[in-house]
Amino acid sequence: MARWGMVIDLDRCTACQACVVACQVENNIPVAGQSDSDRGRGISWIRLAPFNEGEHGTRPGLRLVPIPCMHCEKPPCTKVCPVKATSIGKEGIVAQVYARCIGCRYCTTACPYTVRRFNWKLPEWPDPMGEGLSPDVSVRPRGVVEKCSFCHHRLQNARDKAAIEGRALRDGDYMPACVESCPAEAMFFGDLDDPRSVVTRLEAGPRAFRLLEELGTKPKVIYLSKGESGADV
Amino acid sequence: MKIARREFIGLVAGAAAGAALGAPGGRLFSDALLSANQPIYPPRGPEQFMLSVCTACPGGCGVRARRIGNRIVKVEGNPLHPVSGGRLCAKGQAAVQALYHPDRLRLPLRRTGPRGSLKSFRPATWDAAIAEIANRLQSVRDEQRPESVVLLRGGRSDTATRAARRFLQAFGSPNDIPFDRGNDAGAIALFLTQGLRAAPAPDIRGADYILSLGSDFLESSPAPVYTARAYGDFRQTHTARRGKLIYADPRLSITAASADEWIPIRPMTHATFALGVAAAIVEEGLYDREFVAERSIGFEDGPGGGLRSILLKQFSLERVAAESGITVNVILRIARELAGAHKALVLGPHNGPLLGGRVYDHVAAHVLNALIGNVDQAGGILIADDVAIEAWPADALDAVATAGHRQPRIDGVGPDSLLSGDAEQLARALTTRQPYAAEVLFILGADPLYATAAHDQFAAAMEKVPLVVDFASIPNDTSLYADWILPEPHFLETWNVQTSPASVAFASVSVASPALPKPLYDTRPAADVFLDLARRLGLQRAMPWQDSAALSRAEVDRLFEARRGAIIGTQFDAAWVRMMEGAGWWAPGYASADELWKRVSESGGWWDPFYDHGDWSRVIRTPSGRFDFRPDIVRQIADGAPAAADGGLSLLLFEPLPIAGATGAELPFLQALLDPGLDERWETWGEIHPETAAALHIRNGSWIRVASSRRAIVIRARVTDRVVTGAIAIPVGLGKAAGGRWAEGAGANPLHLLDGAREPLSSLPDFGSSRVLVSEATAPDQRPIKRS
Amino acid sequence: MQTFEANDDGPLLAPIELTSRRFWIFAGALLTIGLWGAFAWWTQLRRGLSVTGLNAPVFWGLYITNFVFFIGISHAGTLISAILRLAHAEWRRSITRAAEVITVLVLFFGMGCVILDLGRPDRVLNVLRSGNFTSPLLWDVTSVACYLTASTIYLFLPLIPDIAILRDRMPSRRWLYRPLALGWTGTEKQVRRLDRAIAVMAVIVIPIAVSVHTVVSWVFAMTVQPMWHSTIFGPYFVVGAIFSGIGAIIIAMAIIRKAYHLEQYLKPIHFNNLGLLLLVMCLLWFYFTFAEFLTTYYGGEPMHMLVFLSKTEGKFSPLFWTMVVTCFVIPFVLLANRRTRTQIWGTVAASISVEIGMWLERFLIVVPSLSNPRIPLTAPSYVPSWVEWSLFAAFVSMFILLYAVFTKFFPIVSIWEIREGREHSVSEVTTRVLSYLPEAANE
Ligand SMILES: Nc1nc2c(c(=O)[nH]1)N[C@H]1C(S)=C(S)[C@@H](COP(=O)(O)OP(=O)(O)OC[C@H]3O[C@@H](n4cnc5c(=O)[nH]c(N)nc54)[C@H](O)[C@@H]3O)O[C@H]1N2
Ligand SMILES: Nc1nc2c(c(=O)[nH]1)N[C@H]1C(S)=C(S)[C@@H](COP(=O)(O)OP(=O)(O)OC[C@H]3O[C@@H](n4cnc5c(=O)[nH]c(N)nc54)[C@H](O)[C@@H]3O)O[C@H]1N2
Ligand code: SF4
Ligand code: SF4
Ligand code: SF4
Ligand code: SF4
Ligand code: SF4
Ligand SMILES: [Mo]
Repeated sequence: MARWGMVIDLDRCTACQACVVACQVENNIPVAGQSDSDRGRGISWIRLAPFNEGEHGTRPGLRLVPIPCMHCEKPPCTKVCPVKATSIGKEGIVAQVYARCIGCRYCTTACPYTVRRFNWKLPEWPDPMGEGLSPDVSVRPRGVVEKCSFCHHRLQNARDKAAIEGRALRDGDYMPACVESCPAEAMFFGDLDDPRSVVTRLEAGPRAFRLLEELGTKPKVIYLSKGESGADV
Repeated sequence: MKIARREFIGLVAGAAAGAALGAPGGRLFSDALLSANQPIYPPRGPEQFMLSVCTACPGGCGVRARRIGNRIVKVEGNPLHPVSGGRLCAKGQAAVQALYHPDRLRLPLRRTGPRGSLKSFRPATWDAAIAEIANRLQSVRDEQRPESVVLLRGGRSDTATRAARRFLQAFGSPNDIPFDRGNDAGAIALFLTQGLRAAPAPDIRGADYILSLGSDFLESSPAPVYTARAYGDFRQTHTARRGKLIYADPRLSITAASADEWIPIRPMTHATFALGVAAAIVEEGLYDREFVAERSIGFEDGPGGGLRSILLKQFSLERVAAESGITVNVILRIARELAGAHKALVLGPHNGPLLGGRVYDHVAAHVLNALIGNVDQAGGILIADDVAIEAWPADALDAVATAGHRQPRIDGVGPDSLLSGDAEQLARALTTRQPYAAEVLFILGADPLYATAAHDQFAAAMEKVPLVVDFASIPNDTSLYADWILPEPHFLETWNVQTSPASVAFASVSVASPALPKPLYDTRPAADVFLDLARRLGLQRAMPWQDSAALSRAEVDRLFEARRGAIIGTQFDAAWVRMMEGAGWWAPGYASADELWKRVSESGGWWDPFYDHGDWSRVIRTPSGRFDFRPDIVRQIADGAPAAADGGLSLLLFEPLPIAGATGAELPFLQALLDPGLDERWETWGEIHPETAAALHIRNGSWIRVASSRRAIVIRARVTDRVVTGAIAIPVGLGKAAGGRWAEGAGANPLHLLDGAREPLSSLPDFGSSRVLVSEATAPDQRPIKRS
Repeated sequence: MQTFEANDDGPLLAPIELTSRRFWIFAGALLTIGLWGAFAWWTQLRRGLSVTGLNAPVFWGLYITNFVFFIGISHAGTLISAILRLAHAEWRRSITRAAEVITVLVLFFGMGCVILDLGRPDRVLNVLRSGNFTSPLLWDVTSVACYLTASTIYLFLPLIPDIAILRDRMPSRRWLYRPLALGWTGTEKQVRRLDRAIAVMAVIVIPIAVSVHTVVSWVFAMTVQPMWHSTIFGPYFVVGAIFSGIGAIIIAMAIIRKAYHLEQYLKPIHFNNLGLLLLVMCLLWFYFTFAEFLTTYYGGEPMHMLVFLSKTEGKFSPLFWTMVVTCFVIPFVLLANRRTRTQIWGTVAASISVEIGMWLERFLIVVPSLSNPRIPLTAPSYVPSWVEWSLFAAFVSMFILLYAVFTKFFPIVSIWEIREGREHSVSEVTTRVLSYLPEAANE
């Protein structure tokens, strides 16, 4: 069985945020206007987090790191959900069941990566913006939590397709929207259990690291550090 | 807080109903009472993938739109496309939001009230619009004054722009005025040194060392996706080589954040710093002797001394260090690294589609490029190999037109001018009616009222033109001053043939057909408007096509005649074409124009991956046939006193990618991404160094007033060491007078602060030399929320 | 030996038999605030949690603060009363009832806060339908439900004899008192059984009470968030809960004493004794707080330090230092000083200070940690909205109102226990005290 994982090469990433918008369009993420945005109510399933480097007075640096849900192997978020509205699947994708979520936001506070978002109000698409909604992804009701699904619906489609073709699902059968869009080709996706997959090779390379590794959450989003030579591909 | 009466009644009624019915069922409760679910109507119908080309910027990315039934639900890159490589930038991704934008124009609008407000416009029919414009044009032609028709056009290279230009040509006006600021300075520097009029196409992918002199190329490239892909390969290719990026500029831009080193030079010292590095290279004898000896002039020779002596005399490391604020050691180190790198590349300053930098700086950067011998080398500065697809019959101009073309350009630009177009001079000419009055002004793909320092002059000038016609999908600042706003379709609704921008070195042509069965609104492609006008004015001989579909087909037919290149395809195909062409063969994979059309429609485009390095007669067109080091200009740089620090702060402008080129603010998805480093969105901010802020008693997050001699804006202060002391950096792209519900009222436009200074060498507007006074201010009233 | 008539406890029955106009005005005012809160809740139901000041990453705010605060107050009654009963503290007799009622009522409001905080209150039963026992929130539901049940029983058992008195005195309310009195006649067998049942409940209730606030703390401590993920949180929360609980009893007693003229029953000695207990908790609270902050500071782990500094010198510092003053400085000065402690106003002032401080402590546990996420995410400062404040006010008002209503139906000072004290305790205590002395014969 596949164990889906993502690799983000911070040396290639240009902080262009194409992944952010790709995800919003793909996953029917509602439009947040200026005031919602200012109130900290905008939703995005992947964002660029700023890490400032260098102390004041010395030469400053800035690292911008794309942060989707890490799809932790040991997710702190699923444990705390009182109603099993979020859980980790067989293939390692941490899923969210909107129809069951009671909106307690315990998972949002438990996630050390702060990637979960809450629907503070009814999602809105001023007419006719709703016309662009994808039929593949449900529109979330008000009052529930959502987050990156590793484009689970694409996996479902790929699985259906593989079934029609009478073969097993394999590495490369599906690619999330953000990975597909990334202009710098800094994102990779695939089966971490497949020894021949690109992500497995990158994961084993010297530049690979995980965010907040010390917390033991075992993220399946793996980063490649900046500033070293890329002999690892 | 406000309690709506309705809600109070609702409360009472709800309580009563609750009591009467007992506990309502869960569904009823959540749907009716809580209204927690959004009723949405997902599209139904077959899934199709439609090929098109993104026109949200000049980048020319081939796209693939996912269509379900009659709706577009996603736009993705066309994986076969050589520019996009199947990838898209944030703006391209937001195309669906633009397509279904609630404030798109649905009908032509005729102005009936004072200029400057959308309220003055009334909906009208296309027939009325075309009739009025055609009548006016006819009378101009009857008066034998075809030159009084002016076209101001942005940097697009699409069917619409070619149709508009051809219309002007056939009509008989020389006033085809480009408004393409971002590329001007770089192109002028190339003209001054290599003698040809083209924009540079830096080979980022092929380089292994890049010195960016304030080229924020990851945000501001003319072809963002292409550049990002090239950058990714520059960093980590599938070989073991990793490219190194050095960024010298007063501001730590997004590109600088990606760089290996940020060298915080003082404002206005890019050229000095570059020439300091050049001097060090010369002094240590690290320059490319072969190129300098065999392919250049002006190094040893020149009136009053060549480059060498000027560099050594006037750009001592001590002087450069003192002026730029960078230590001698660093300059020396950069010089050695640059000269020692296998394929080094120097990029002149470029901060966005509107902010192309200063010609002096570009000349200095290019001198450095030539010194290390990377002109037209892999990993160096290339020249785009363009492809002519104008499918126009020759000799189709009548007598009136021929006479009209003998008139001077209204903006004073002539064959010897360095500028390709002069918007500020155009504004003056329109106002003063000198050298002659303009009767009709077409504006296509440009927003000069937003994007020039001459905002007021432009607004006044438009009053003087009897008929101003603007093409727009969502009205922009300039539209508000037009007489007609003609609604353009979204790129997913139209035919288009697009050539790749000049910064892409290979020739490519993308073909778009409408991705929707019919346009959402009563819009018309600008090409159709010009074809229609041509027909009504009897100019069909020059423009014989029925509509943009037929025109697109004719343009692709021209490709067949070019006898080169291939249908876009896999990397394997590209390698094959490259190999064959390198060996002097051409194996097109199509036998007829019909077949080409069919296959191009199926794949999305055509390209010629072959680049012939070192074709000197093509890339160097100076009278001597050699690269000219321009010691005269270098001396001007040396003699130019550093900008007088007459109080105030240096104004540094930049364009964040999502709103670069003054487009993007209308889309909420893009407004939300302005600066991830400072977590800035939906507002204009000014970056100030902590020491400068302390001296001005400005706190992070407070409101500040930024004032120039001309105007003042109120923006948010961001105290950060991402910018050098004594400067304030402000993003361009917000502060729009028009642009729909999300653009209007968000942020401020710093371009309006500019004093209109021009660079002496080129008379390009100098966006780098302005100084502003910064003080505390009270919040502008539309922004009630205070962020921590 | 003296004998006493029922009439001797007339002042205890007076509030039930007579209701003044002042009471109605008071109740009307509280009800109005309650209705305002209902309107606020309606607004929130209609428009979702967007009407609060919450945001990402400050996903929790006033509601969760109040949840922890109210559950903390609930430790007042049952736990204190159980400990005092088991310790045979004779002075407890006139205060246990007032304390126990606080527990039972405030628990509802504590759980109510969680409902307020839900994005989908309509789905709250999912907790039963598909409960996930790895979630501390479910542990909470369980332990609070146990505590509520046990406290209700524990409140009810000692009420039975008093209800019987009322049944016999107030024929007009027989419909209420007769079924509740469970046929109490005061036979020796009944008394013996009641005493046993109360004693058993007192033993059961203590671990449950401790578990409740421990589990509340675990809602935070089980996550890995900075300054939440702390082993000390269980006892720290229990101490804080008892601390704020005792304060609540003192305040309630002072009001009852004044309103119902029970000066003879609630004497300065009661306040003094509770004041001493409050002082002990104050010192314990300080000890835990100090331990918590010192370890964080000494360890200096950057993520924890971000939260630490935001409390001690950052944007939460005004609240933090107010908390230190109101939780420690003021009560310590007032209670450690015999002159002020023996005054009723002294202990009441200390208690009010403690309530303010402990509310701030809860707020400062919830909000600063969320405001400083490990992965940088800037957000607006969390400022509670009118809806949140209104609901807070309404909950407090409705709690007071229900408490007042209780006093109109049941004696707020246990009549039979006071009688029992008069009848048996003096000799019992004398015997007990004598038994401690060296002269006493060994058994
Ligand atoms: N973001 C987001 N998350 C969601 C949803 C959403 O809409 N958006 N939807 C939610 C919903 S409704 C659901 S049902 C879940 C689905 O989530 P999952 O329960 O994870 O369902 P699948 O992804 O279909 O994966 C089921 C696994 O079972 C395997 N399988 C297939 N047939 C068999 C079999 O016969 N035997 C065994 N042993 N294994 C088999 C498949 O290969 C697959 O690996 O996702 C939920 N999560
Ligand atoms: N190709 C492919 N297709 C699949 C699957 C697959 O694996 N592959 N999986 C299948 C599976 S397992 C499932 S469950 C279905 C899911 O498909 P659907 O049943 O369509 O489920 P959703 O799209 O998640 O939600 C449906 C709608 O319910 C709304 N909704 C959510 N909560 C409420 C509520 O409380 N009240 C009201 N009125 N509306 C609410 C949502 O906003 C949404 O509009 O998809 C199936 N389709
Ligand atoms: S990143 Fe957060 S939301 Fe995603 S699995 Fe890990 S803990 Fe859960
Ligand atoms: S918000 Fe929803 S998913 Fe998250 S813990 Fe609560 S019920 Fe579970
Ligand atoms: S994997 Fe899919 S859901 Fe997750 S961030 Fe990328 S696009 Fe969004
Ligand atoms: S799209 Fe790719 S390059 Fe752009 S920010 Fe996301 S990961 Fe980085
Ligand atoms: S780079 Fe330009 S053309 Fe390409 S997707 Fe982005 S906006 Fe469109
Ligand atoms: Mo499902």
